[in-house]
Amino acid sequence: MTLITILLLAVITFSSRYLFLHPGIPLRIGAKLSSFLSFSAPAVLTAIWVPIIFIKDGSLNISPDNPYLIAATVAVVVSIKTKSVYITLASSGVVFVLLRVFL
Amino acid sequence: MVQVKKNIYWKVAQKGFLDMLPLNLAVIPWGILCGSLAIQRGFSVLEALLMPALVYAGAVQLVVTELIANNVPLATILFTAFIISSRHFLYGLALRNKLKNLPLRWRVSLGFLLTDELFALSTHRKSLKGKVRLIYGLFAGGSFYLSWLMWNIIGIIAGSYLPDLTEIGLDFAIAVTFIALIMPNITNLPALVTIIIAGVFSVIFKLLDWELGLVFAALLAMYGGYTTSRWQTRKAIKSEIKEEKE
Repeated sequence: MTLITILLLAVITFSSRYLFLHPGIPLRIGAKLSSFLSFSAPAVLTAIWVPIIFIKDGSLNISPDNPYLIAATVAVVVSIKTKSVYITLASSGVVFVLLRVFL
Repeated sequence: MVQVKKNIYWKVAQKGFLDMLPLNLAVIPWGILCGSLAIQRGFSVLEALLMPALVYAGAVQLVVTELIANNVPLATILFTAFIISSRHFLYGLALRNKLKNLPLRWRVSLGFLLTDELFALSTHRKSLKGKVRLIYGLFAGGSFYLSWLMWNIIGIIAGSYLPDLTEIGLDFAIAVTFIALIMPNITNLPALVTIIIAGVFSVIFKLLDWELGLVFAALLAMYGGYTTSRWQTRKAIKSEIKEEKE
């Protein structure tokens, strides 16, 4: 039973990704829709990461003793300054670990 | 000539791998968690392996594993998976014009690999255009798939011996990689409006425990960014007309 469920789940995740790549879908993406969709990456990815930082145990935590918030602020500044994923990960990671240890 | 081409392909393949590497590492805790949770909830090894191998979606795997273990009706399980996956429709739409005319093998393989992470690396106007960039995408996405599988397998082997890895704050890694990929590209007003709206509404919807919140926050944000850029264009045209009159 679980096996069938897993196969059906695979159909769902694959079709959610593949559907609009299929040429047979009667959908033409014009200039307006295309411009709207050009904002999808910052929109979706921001909507994924922001709650991880600001919501702790189901409620909003905007206080200086939230290590996620401090370290994410470091990450934002470093990423804009250096544009490097590696330097951003390393610097904010160190800050995060130190805060977890000492706070 | 053929040799030169092969060299380029090899180089972009390496670059795809290296660009994805931080993301491959950032999902270690999630992958291990998914694998070990499946075993802890009574999945057989085969079933636990097929989750990352075929379903290949972290959020879906985590939620659905709990639902299956609790004998929730199949329709509910599938509907929940559909809701969580619905953001992928946006990725397909965004990449449609670039990929729809490619041969089936490219569409299916990149479609299968189209996770948040691969999409995050495919945001440039030119990305996935032409064979060189397609190979880049294939290796970036492919390396992420293999890593995900590997972390899940470690979780499956370690099984119940592991503590809950998200409890010790390792979900921070995935947030930071998205920050690092997105923030350097926020160089104009429409992009700034987009991330502010996305940030504010994603938090509000999450606090309301609204399952579709992520997608709706993103749609609102996209609309905000789009409207701002239209407003800027109109303003620019207006001032140009004014200048011509003077």
